[in-house]
Amino acid sequence: MTSSIFMHPAVIFIVGAMLLPLFKKFNAQKIWLVVVPLMAIIQIRYLPTSFGTVEWMGFDLQFGRVDQLTKVFLHIFTLMAIIGSIFGLHVKESGQHAAAWLYVAGSLGTTLAGDYLTVFIFWELMAFASVFLIWYRKRRRSIEAGYRYILMHTFGGLVLLAGIFMHYQNVHDLSFVAISPETATMAEYLILIGFMLNAAVPPIHAWLPDAYPEATVTGAVFMCAFTTKTAVYALVRGFAGFEVLVVMGAVMALYGVVYAFLANDARRILAYHIISQVGYMVCGVGIGTHMAINGVCAHAYAHILYKGLLFMGVGSVIEMTGRSKLSELGGLYKYMPATLIFTVIGGMAISGFPLTSGFISKSMIMASAGADHRLIIMLMLLLASAGTFHHTAIKIPYFIFFGPNDSGLKPKEAHWNMQVGMFMAAFMCIFLGVYPEFLYDMLPYSVGFNPYTSYHLAETFQILGFTGLASYLMIKYIKAHDVANLDVDWFYRRGTDWFMWTARNPISASNEWISNVYKNVGMRFTMAVARALSWFDWEGIDWALDGSARGVVKSGEQVRQFQTGKLQQYIGAAVAVLFIVLIVVVFI
Amino acid sequence: MIVQFLTYLRERPAMLKWILFAYLGFALVFDFFADRSGAHFWGDHIIGFWSMFALLGILLMIVLSKGLSHVWLERGTDYYDK
Repeated sequence: MTSSIFMHPAVIFIVGAMLLPLFKKFNAQKIWLVVVPLMAIIQIRYLPTSFGTVEWMGFDLQFGRVDQLTKVFLHIFTLMAIIGSIFGLHVKESGQHAAAWLYVAGSLGTTLAGDYLTVFIFWELMAFASVFLIWYRKRRRSIEAGYRYILMHTFGGLVLLAGIFMHYQNVHDLSFVAISPETATMAEYLILIGFMLNAAVPPIHAWLPDAYPEATVTGAVFMCAFTTKTAVYALVRGFAGFEVLVVMGAVMALYGVVYAFLANDARRILAYHIISQVGYMVCGVGIGTHMAINGVCAHAYAHILYKGLLFMGVGSVIEMTGRSKLSELGGLYKYMPATLIFTVIGGMAISGFPLTSGFISKSMIMASAGADHRLIIMLMLLLASAGTFHHTAIKIPYFIFFGPNDSGLKPKEAHWNMQVGMFMAAFMCIFLGVYPEFLYDMLPYSVGFNPYTSYHLAETFQILGFTGLASYLMIKYIKAHDVANLDVDWFYRRGTDWFMWTARNPISASNEWISNVYKNVGMRFTMAVARALSWFDWEGIDWALDGSARGVVKSGEQVRQFQTGKLQQYIGAAVAVLFIVLIVVVFI
Repeated sequence: MIVQFLTYLRERPAMLKWILFAYLGFALVFDFFADRSGAHFWGDHIIGFWSMFALLGILLMIVLSKGLSHVWLERGTDYYDK
């Protein structure tokens, strides 16, 4: 059923991306940018449970495997694709839109893939398409960050591929299904590491806060939604119940928050919060109960919307002012009130305000940790959520839109299409908070969860309120400083310098010394040995073989004299021989 | 209209402070009436536990992360460009 591949939603985006330049030529790019994601949103409703099965070189590939888990992710990925495309309508470069769509296609392809090879193909498509969203910013820092990004993802991809090969060698089956922690070997753990790199689990997370703040404004909106959440999907599919993920997820949730305290670039703060939020999901995958998995899916869905919204809000500020550092912004509320409101809604949703999407999704993971009697994990996650409120709902809006000092900037309000994109995401954030059943009905397992209990509300009211009090008390100390803080990317950013220094100095010097020694001692010795051997060959062996070599030399000399090397003499000789042959044939 | 409202609030920091305190009082009072039947651990039975948790937790995180930055992690913005 090769033909059924054409119903794959990734194909819609790939073909859509290829036709973009054509639509641009006829001034219809903006229409096409809305039509294609809309087609995909409709398309995913009509997917059969299995399609696009292909046999290739003895492998059974499955491009489409649809179940309840796939559906939640397909739903949010296509929804985010249309929100992101509308937000980026004003961008004229087709290349940027095409890169974004190929990236979306990679994400959809991974989500639908039924075997590891297909996962790998689309996994790499994501990495190689998304790097252009960084490079399109066209600044030196972006180019450099893009190279680091693609190198890290290539490394992760290779680890994944190695894991896939070893897994195939062990079980002779490539189907992408749940792996039991008891049977997992080195192969499965390599696959897990490949997935964890894309989920930005420390210590292989530094590519994210390194690259996202350097991406284009619309590029970052796409990037914050797809890479990490596709990895979360892959983890849910393959690695639910792996205990290591519980601990790493909880550490991740706090790690991101701690680093967000230090960052000055608004999008870097948000990038560290992606790590923190994905930490909740990774932790939930590790817990692995039905409620936890439901929580992970719900949180991924909600997270894509509010994180997209925050990146859109901050992105609008960057687009209109050209600045991204909190220390250089302030007082913008008079000029960009709509952006302020949308950003605050995103900040409220990520911190889990009642009546927003974060409240109804995050609490499921927290409750599943509690129900599983993992007290410390639950407290770590709750602390991270307090930190999240501090940054995204207080620090970012305060320093950008109000702030202790006015930046003096008088930017225009964001473009209309940016506001439409932000409105759509903000609407969904509140809609899900008010009507959680819309999301709960999509989840893989049936849900008996009510977030709006009086105790959960009391807990949230207090955590939010007293975090606010702490921020109020410490407002002088939380001011961002314009500094860079070391993270583990130091190892490959400074570590490579050390490597190059070692290569240039000690290694290069010792190489030179060795070659000198060889030239002075080694060469002379070799030449002496060669001369001795040649003498032995000439005088010893030849003499033994009765001077035959000398005989050959002598006869060769005679033949050489016979061959004059003049062409006319050769032709003459040839004609003479031919003449003699003719005479012989005719007369005898 | 929104801008005028925000400017109005911004010019009255004392009022905002009292709104915050009133909200904190409400959060604490609300905790007295919350249903604690689904409690997971001892902290769930203490009234105002999450208030102290959030306040101390955030203060601790600010001190810890800022301290860590000052003594170890902080570098110039052009650190990697050198």
